[in-house]
Amino acid sequence: MEAPTLSFSRPLFAKLSPHPYLLRNLSPASPADSPCRSNGRAPHEARPVHIHTGSLSHAHGSALVRAGDTTVICGVRAEALPVTSIPQYRPKTVFDADNSGAGIGRGELKDYDLLVPNIELATGCAPQFLPGVPPTALAQTLSTRVYSLLHAAQIVDPADLRIWYTPPKYEDKMDADTEEDEVEDESTKPQLMAYWVLYIDLLFVSFDGNPFDAAWTVVMAALRNTKLPQARWDPDRETAVCSRAKAAPLNIRGLPLACSAAVFLEKEHAEGGEGRHWILLDPDRLEESLCKEMVTVVVDCSSGETRLRSIEKQGGTVVGRELVRGFAGVAEGRWKEVSKAMG
Amino acid sequence: MADRRRVNGPVGATIPPVFEDEDVQVQATQRTTRSRAPNGIRKMYLKTGVTPSASGSAYLEIETSGKDGVSGLKLSCTVHGPRSLPRLSPFSPHIILSTHVKFAPFATKQRRGYLRDPSERDLGTHLEAALRGAIIADRWPKSGVDIIISIIEGDQGRETSGAQGDDTWDMMNALSGCITVASAALADAGIDCVDTVAGGVAALVRGSGENDTARIVIDPIPSEHERIEAACCIAYLPARDEITNLWFKGDMPDHDMGIYSELVQQGIQASKLANRVLVESLGETVK
Repeated sequence: MEAPTLSFSRPLFAKLSPHPYLLRNLSPASPADSPCRSNGRAPHEARPVHIHTGSLSHAHGSALVRAGDTTVICGVRAEALPVTSIPQYRPKTVFDADNSGAGIGRGELKDYDLLVPNIELATGCAPQFLPGVPPTALAQTLSTRVYSLLHAAQIVDPADLRIWYTPPKYEDKMDADTEEDEVEDESTKPQLMAYWVLYIDLLFVSFDGNPFDAAWTVVMAALRNTKLPQARWDPDRETAVCSRAKAAPLNIRGLPLACSAAVFLEKEHAEGGEGRHWILLDPDRLEESLCKEMVTVVVDCSSGETRLRSIEKQGGTVVGRELVRGFAGVAEGRWKEVSKAMG
Repeated sequence: MADRRRVNGPVGATIPPVFEDEDVQVQATQRTTRSRAPNGIRKMYLKTGVTPSASGSAYLEIETSGKDGVSGLKLSCTVHGPRSLPRLSPFSPHIILSTHVKFAPFATKQRRGYLRDPSERDLGTHLEAALRGAIIADRWPKSGVDIIISIIEGDQGRETSGAQGDDTWDMMNALSGCITVASAALADAGIDCVDTVAGGVAALVRGSGENDTARIVIDPIPSEHERIEAACCIAYLPARDEITNLWFKGDMPDHDMGIYSELVQQGIQASKLANRVLVESLGETVK
């Protein structure tokens, strides 16, 4: 009779000793084999992205992004903010209907806080994110990163968010002297009465690593899907009145997309960069929990040439100048995949 | 004070878009009538296992009424557990359910905040009552299970006029969906239940005409009816012929108990139809 062999299933090994498990997976038995991660992907292989837009009817723009087991939904909702309720409002006098003076209002988005991204992780999307507690550090960090990238990349044109009011001309005015005429001219110029505020709400349905890439992709897809109703200012009601029939899409400048990777070290508690290391593109939840060093590069190739929009690196000492430069090339490849999925 | 752990946006209050009156009038005349049979429910799509890292999960989508601008219900549910209770909690001889129902900020006509409001908590308690009757709670002493439902899209018309007071009826539809999706997620998590519980709604509605008599329909869409007199949401276990939760709201004459029992009967009928979808979907998953 044979003695029962002590053997565990693969998921159990992964749970008991995750680091050696991933290490053994990455070091092939024979040098002929290429290294393979425990999820079956090659180190530089990302999960395919599926994007679906416009499925929510109450939002002005929406998108769903699925990359492997990470699923995010984003809804963009516009609400009007009258200039009278903006403290420290500095009126602009120039009317630019043709968006020519877009540069003038560069600070508007940030000064008046017109973009409001929020990320909700507490939907039970993974066992560590349960509701009933304040937003976790990760949720706060992600919201802030999306917020700052939205402003830094300047993808939203502030001209789209302005709501103008042109006072009607009164024909039957009495014969007035020249001074009053000038005053009249001044008052019939279009005035900026309100701004649209874009509430960008993200909801993680399922969480399996690499939340920033998914979150940023879904924000881009939802913003490109957003159509704002045509609004005019109603001075009597002191509110913006919209037409249901007419809606215009936002002018989104460029298409920056994020690409993240984690650095996996051979020695679990190594301080310096000794030993071998692997760069794992698009890490999943298990890999993220084992890696200290993360790199995120945001590139935009929509203009034909590759432009770097943001580089973020946290922890660790492996990734240096050369690796980041090489990683930009990887990000470029990823950009092509994701932008193709976006259509 | 504003919540500093979220991005709060501008200090001043923002106004949701107001649409021009003529549009609303056009829409009011287009108010569609119910095309389904009074005893038929809308098509549903139910799928389990949408969140692989949770113990159990399910996604439910109910089709739209076909009218533009009226959304169908979209729900996602995750179940975490059974897990041991925290050290400091008192002994419990049976499993402790905690239910969270949350509308997404973009789920309804008005943008919702991130903190749960009383109506969401109310839905949570109703859901807990409905599920408590189905779970065999004694099998897990000293443990707890979390059931979390995100309402991705509510069952609501987009226009505001003429839809005042519809919210209470929308809540009933939402609850019946919540019960069905939670039941599927519990089954996916492998938590023992006496039977699959499903939710159903029946309503007493009145047409727009003056001398229209009230009639009972199941799975009502508030925007399709001129007036809803009363509605009732039922959680029902078909194998045992038991109701685990009954939620009745509205206005009904008390001399005629016949209407009331008919309403409950129709609610059970709706629940049975939902249960058929549920069982079919779970059967497909097992295969």
